[in-house]
Amino acid sequence: MADDKAVRGELIDEATLTLEELARACAVEADWVIERLESGLLADGSHYVSRQRLTGQRFTSRDLTRARRLRQVERDFEVEPELAALVADLLEEVERLRTRLRAAGVE
Amino acid sequence: MEFKDYYQTLGVAKTATAEEIKKAYRKLARKYHPDVSKEPDAEDRMQAINEAKEVLGDPEKRAAYDQLGQDYRAGQDFRPPPDWDAGFEFTGRGFEGAEADEFSDFFANLFGQAGRRKQRGQGYRMRGEDRHAKVMIDLADAYQGATRTISLQVPEMDAQGRVVTRAHSLSVKIPKGVKEGQHIRLTGQGSPGMGGGPPGDLFLEIHFHPDQTFRVEGRDVYASVPVTPWEAALGASIETPTPAGPVRLKVPAGSQSGRRLRLKGRGIPGQEPGDLYVELTVVLPPADTDKARELYATMARELDFDPRRTGHGRR
Repeated sequence: MADDKAVRGELIDEATLTLEELARACAVEADWVIERLESGLLADGSHYVSRQRLTGQRFTSRDLTRARRLRQVERDFEVEPELAALVADLLEEVERLRTRLRAAGVE
Repeated sequence: MEFKDYYQTLGVAKTATAEEIKKAYRKLARKYHPDVSKEPDAEDRMQAINEAKEVLGDPEKRAAYDQLGQDYRAGQDFRPPPDWDAGFEFTGRGFEGAEADEFSDFFANLFGQAGRRKQRGQGYRMRGEDRHAKVMIDLADAYQGATRTISLQVPEMDAQGRVVTRAHSLSVKIPKGVKEGQHIRLTGQGSPGMGGGPPGDLFLEIHFHPDQTFRVEGRDVYASVPVTPWEAALGASIETPTPAGPVRLKVPAGSQSGRRLRLKGRGIPGQEPGDLYVELTVVLPPADTDKARELYATMARELDFDPRRTGHGRR
């Protein structure tokens, strides 16, 4: 296929997706995302986000990966969001450690 | 099209209760969850399990499937009879979530058709679902950018209103500076909309092929380079590979094996480019000739060196 026919995509870098776009990409309602943001389960789980401040907030590739993972665990195992977030935390930690092991040439 | 035995997929009897089906599903979902499973075909298995649960976990779909499937065995060639689903009312949408796009032809034909026909009948106008795909690239592609052809299965309606899946190839530009795990959004390349609604987007999740030479962490790249004892001891300018091509690297005199040299900004490019870390590995020449043995013996004699004594051989 000729190179000039290639589709050019948009790199989801730091803070790109709107709330609606993030929700759609996870096949959930915006409220699903808001609830998890408000209870600190998304966006690194580190800070409390109030509903009023959500307008204009943008989300990253990492948020998208985490949101999809939360949704999958919640749905597959029919568990509470908090438990799914705990699973996601552990998986992220394992990924971080594995990456470090690889970078150190251990794995 | 092959008949799919969803009971076999979940490993339950045809008489299983809803609770037993749920239990069997969770057990398998735990085993094959792609995030944790070590099984090589985990992703495919998970898809098959999800598909089976989608049907058997929904009383209406299960009843329709049971009636249809009583004379079929897994793998048998299968054509759904016309109006096989008459009298059944599938609740909710025919597809649940974006993953349903990945389900088999068999599923799409039975439940996709029913779901979509209903939506059409109600004059629904709906944006197509977003889709997701993983794309493997080489580390060098993240340095230079690349064009990749991606094959996707796209469900669409044929002239008879049946859902068929069609292979769709898409040539995509991978922008330079992309990181492991990062997404690229292709607007309008997701599932087609319904009733004149716009199509969804396609999200590509980027992963790197494992590389023999380089390891990656974020935008930083790591490599180890072999050096001779005299290059390490006396210092040297050596050619070292980087994902963007070889560069000359200055090895400082007095380097030990394991010394890490940073090549600033030679990691994955970006607004804040990563660094490239080169770890030196001192490789001893083999003592397999008289000459080599003599040189080692000379060193042993002439150099006052014992790495087991404090201070020596420490980094």
